[in-house]
Amino acid sequence: MSNDDQLEIEVNGVTLPARKGQMLIEATDAAGIYIPRFCYHEKLSIAANCRMCLVEVEKAPKPLPACATPVMDGMKVFTASARAISAQKATMEFLLINHPLDCPICDQGGECELQDLAMGYGRGVSRYSERKRVVRDKNLGPLISTDMTRCIHCTRCVRFGQEIAGIQELGTTGRGEHTQIGTYVEKSVDHEMSGNIIDLCPVGALNNKPYRFSARAWEMTQHASVAAHDCVGSNMFAHVYNGIAKRIVPQPNEAINETWLSDRDRFSFEGIYAADRLQSPRIRIDGEWRDCGWDEALSAVAEGLKGIAADHGPEQISGLISPSATSEEHFLFARLLRGLGSVNIDHRIRRVDFHGQEADPVAPGLGMTLADLEAQQALLVVGSDLRQEVPIAAHRVRKAAVAGADVFFVNPGNYEYLFPVAGYLDTTSSSIIDELAGLVRAAFARTETRPDANLAEVLAAAEVRPEHEAAVAKLIAAERATVLLGLIAGRHPGYSRIRMLAAALAAATGAQVGSLTEGANSGGAAMAGTLPHRICGGAAAETTGLNAAEIIAAPTRGMVLMGIEPELDCANAEGLLERLADTLFCVVVTPFATPAMETYASVLLPVGTFAETAGSYLNAAGEQQEFSGFATPVGAARPGWKILRVLGNLCAVDGFDYVSAAEVTQALAAVCEDSEPSIENTGQLAPAVAGFDEGGLRVPIYAVDAVVRRARSLQLTKWGESVPDISKPADAA
Amino acid sequence: MRIGYLYKTLFLSELRAGLGVTWRNLFRPKFTIQYPEEKTPQSPRFRGLHAQRRYPNGEERCIACKLCEAVCPALAITIESEVAADGTRRTKRYDIDLFKCIFCGFCEEACPVDAIVETRIHEYHMERRGENILTKDKLLAIGDKYEAMIAADKAADAEYR
Amino acid sequence: MIELTTASIASMWAAVPAAIQDTLLITLRILVVLVPLILAVAYLTYAERKVIGYIQNRIGPNRVGPKGLLQPFADVIKLLLKEVVIPSNANRALFVVAPLLTLTPAFAAWAVIPLFPGFVLADINAALLYVLALTSLGVYGVILAGWATNSKYAFLGAMRSAAQIVAYEIAMGFALVGVVMASGSLNLGEIIEGQRGSVLHWYWLPLLPLFMIYFISGVAETNRAPFDVAEGESEIVAGFHVEYAGVGFALFFLAEYANMILISALTAILFLGGWLSPFEGILGADNILARPGFFWFALKTSVFLFLFLWFRATFPRYRYDQIMRLGWKVFIPLTLVWIFVEGAMIAFDIGPWFD
Repeated sequence: MSNDDQLEIEVNGVTLPARKGQMLIEATDAAGIYIPRFCYHEKLSIAANCRMCLVEVEKAPKPLPACATPVMDGMKVFTASARAISAQKATMEFLLINHPLDCPICDQGGECELQDLAMGYGRGVSRYSERKRVVRDKNLGPLISTDMTRCIHCTRCVRFGQEIAGIQELGTTGRGEHTQIGTYVEKSVDHEMSGNIIDLCPVGALNNKPYRFSARAWEMTQHASVAAHDCVGSNMFAHVYNGIAKRIVPQPNEAINETWLSDRDRFSFEGIYAADRLQSPRIRIDGEWRDCGWDEALSAVAEGLKGIAADHGPEQISGLISPSATSEEHFLFARLLRGLGSVNIDHRIRRVDFHGQEADPVAPGLGMTLADLEAQQALLVVGSDLRQEVPIAAHRVRKAAVAGADVFFVNPGNYEYLFPVAGYLDTTSSSIIDELAGLVRAAFARTETRPDANLAEVLAAAEVRPEHEAAVAKLIAAERATVLLGLIAGRHPGYSRIRMLAAALAAATGAQVGSLTEGANSGGAAMAGTLPHRICGGAAAETTGLNAAEIIAAPTRGMVLMGIEPELDCANAEGLLERLADTLFCVVVTPFATPAMETYASVLLPVGTFAETAGSYLNAAGEQQEFSGFATPVGAARPGWKILRVLGNLCAVDGFDYVSAAEVTQALAAVCEDSEPSIENTGQLAPAVAGFDEGGLRVPIYAVDAVVRRARSLQLTKWGESVPDISKPADAA
Repeated sequence: MRIGYLYKTLFLSELRAGLGVTWRNLFRPKFTIQYPEEKTPQSPRFRGLHAQRRYPNGEERCIACKLCEAVCPALAITIESEVAADGTRRTKRYDIDLFKCIFCGFCEEACPVDAIVETRIHEYHMERRGENILTKDKLLAIGDKYEAMIAADKAADAEYR
Repeated sequence: MIELTTASIASMWAAVPAAIQDTLLITLRILVVLVPLILAVAYLTYAERKVIGYIQNRIGPNRVGPKGLLQPFADVIKLLLKEVVIPSNANRALFVVAPLLTLTPAFAAWAVIPLFPGFVLADINAALLYVLALTSLGVYGVILAGWATNSKYAFLGAMRSAAQIVAYEIAMGFALVGVVMASGSLNLGEIIEGQRGSVLHWYWLPLLPLFMIYFISGVAETNRAPFDVAEGESEIVAGFHVEYAGVGFALFFLAEYANMILISALTAILFLGGWLSPFEGILGADNILARPGFFWFALKTSVFLFLFLWFRATFPRYRYDQIMRLGWKVFIPLTLVWIFVEGAMIAFDIGPWFD
């Protein structure tokens, strides 16, 4: 930015710096001078239809809206002069003409922008004695409640749909007093980030449906936390009343989620209070399940594991842990199992191709920040239903596309993207590997590069189509280009080939390679060492143990499962329940007790969910985010790190004398200090898999983990209905 | 000065003045009210036992806005709200702990729908643990029983509001 | 059935041995004094509550019996029925004995009080010394109670009481010396007889300072307001009897009021001519009002009792150092001076008292 752009304006007698093209309200906001507003939002376009931000500008005949008035050098603005105030008061009086006086029953009451400003600009008594307008409520689905009579037509929700979501689900109909906000035909709002219009609405017209009437803004405490269902780790605030989470709102963080939050992160907490939550430790004695105390359960676990190690050897113990567990849990989990002598530890429970795992990055991820992702000029997304997998990343990609980037997809289905897609390489009649090979060949042809020897076999069969040529041309032309591997790619039986091809393509086109990762904490898990071939910090293990696919295919005599429902969370889970039932001793550390678990488990230990435990997540952008629990644990549930700590002590494994999650975090950080997350993508190749249904690798957005599967409101949405019935909470009625 | 002081001390004049005061009061009319038989007059604003009111059609007034809970200086009110069967905002729990309550009347002042009121009833007792909690049912029952009195008191006070 | 006629009773009485006859007679006489005394104590509490109530513009007890007249009995029954609690670290024996030690002297002193001409339980010559000895004995009960309770508050109360008794006993003794000098006798009957003549012959006039000092010291001696620092509810909870409940408390209560009556009676006897009539020498000797009698004694005693109550309703409690100052630095010098003045009056035969 050159100095020519700088100019100075005078607001209330104070000189402020401003940039050319800025609107007045941006300059005053930056200086901390408050101008009332309803329709203006920094992330949305300017509508200037509420008129609340009228200010007096010298030489202007009438008050001007600050949100739509560009700054001019030397302009003199008065935000609180008699004229400005009287204009604002007049606006407020008009707004209040049709706004109902139902603040006592409105969920927005106490945190309402209109209510707050009415305190400052409203009249004590209304001069309007005619009948007020009444608008019929719209049904926007299970997440958003409407009281449309309260609407002041700021159109923030409409602009959100147009500009952020990319699909105009809401719009205005009618004119003047007959203006209404609604869906044109009776349909619900289904976008995966639609919950944000709840926050955007300055009044109580659009509100949080699951939260409806259950608490008041002033009686809840606000706790900062991190979302636990995708690899970006959106920052959020949980609002808690009497230890019970009532709702979740986004915590602005420009580096990650800006001011948005995906519906999955916003409403998933309902799952914490599902009816099948495990209330106390349970133990199976002679085939009979009964509740027991922690002491009994933990000593039974320690005895059982030590017994397996003594009778059958420690290699007969394996552990599977959810990739959404905290880094601290991963760290202690790995330490416990390695302390017992086992090397069969894995968190990559949806992955099936482990060829070349030695070359996996120490902490898999994007290899760039989310802001970098947004700045890409060309993107090739391989095997990803982006919007469903990582909504916030999808939003970033959309912003890049809207800004002019060329985004290409290699996907097993024609998934809907709400932005201009430059090219779509559908694999329904081929495979991801075929399409990628075509791209690589096209790239090699264009750059006149010779393929590596081990790629020759793959490339030989590839067919180059014009779409491939076009995509490669864009990737090469772009200054900043990225090949982004999605979760479908990661679950692919030919993942090692995909990765190899992606690396080759990137090398040939000068692009970067990044990958989206499973769960909230795959990066942290890899760093903490819940891998069969690596220990904490990323160094290679002495002995490589069984990986997740091998454990799932043939469970060992002793099993430790943490935070997962294996039949739903693991790849190739057919028949897994029977195989697990044949194990000698199976410990399940889980927030929920399912009938399936009772068939194979020996002991059930209730563990706190992300809402009830302290810990940290390493997101795909390489950012370590610590958080503490915000809700009171349900029943006898305890944070995972505490359970593992006591188990470590009972099993007489060294290094379990931590008294707080923060100490575990420090210990983990000390080990990982020297390890830089690296992205290196070369390795051995998996054998070719033919006739594989790649579309089946897709996991529906509201089925990714046990908590989300039990979030009632999410399951009632369009996407939730596609989730198998088994995951519906018992009280879904 | 000095002599005056000596005189006062020696002849205990101040003590005698004090005795004079009490002597005179010995014969003043007495204020005692013979309580159960006689009672002092009560204001329509008297703040006694709480009650919850209903509209004439039987619908309960309380809308679970929780303003009374927020204003209560003794934290005596506990409210849990929910969406009622008919979609309206209602309390699923409305408890007043009479042991905590200081009868300041703020709840009554805060109520936007005149649902929670303090009646003139001040002669009540508790015999068992837990009876100090006025639940929603009890409050509504009190309101139903004394609605005539409450309405009359509200009407009497209305012109000053 | 034996016919109870006067003759039969007389004959039965004659059959009783003389020693037992004496004992029975003495017991009867004691009861004649003691039972009304206890009743008087009971109704003194009632009077106190009524008087203080009236002074505070209330009407006092009025629920138990007509005008509340049965209130004292209700109180007694309540106190008797209450549990006797002995603190775990108390000296049990002394804790139990202490109230008795206070009560006994308060009652025993009545042995030498002449109630009306010719009636006194024990007409001894050293009556005044006996009274002095017994009234100072009562404080032992207080001190023992405070010590036996093993509580800071009780102990503080006991210490205050002891110091107070020492300070006021001396002034009281000197006041009595004045009376003895004036009457020339220690026998209370003779002291009363010595005041015969008229209202002006009573010792209150020549011994006016001693009279006032004696009564005020008496108030202090009985631990009554404004000298009730031994109890001092607002400072040391209830002082020496903080841990007493039920019967123990009742006994202390009884002793305190019995002492009040005793002090009032003594003041009446020593300075206001006991059972002598104030109209003696004004009305004719055969006029019924001019005759000496129990009525006059009771009236004078009642006046002093009223003063006790009036003081309590009027004055706030003295600070402890003020009590000590008053006792040592005002009362003792004053009595000494007045004894010299009195001596001079005797030496120069100043009438009408010392001629």
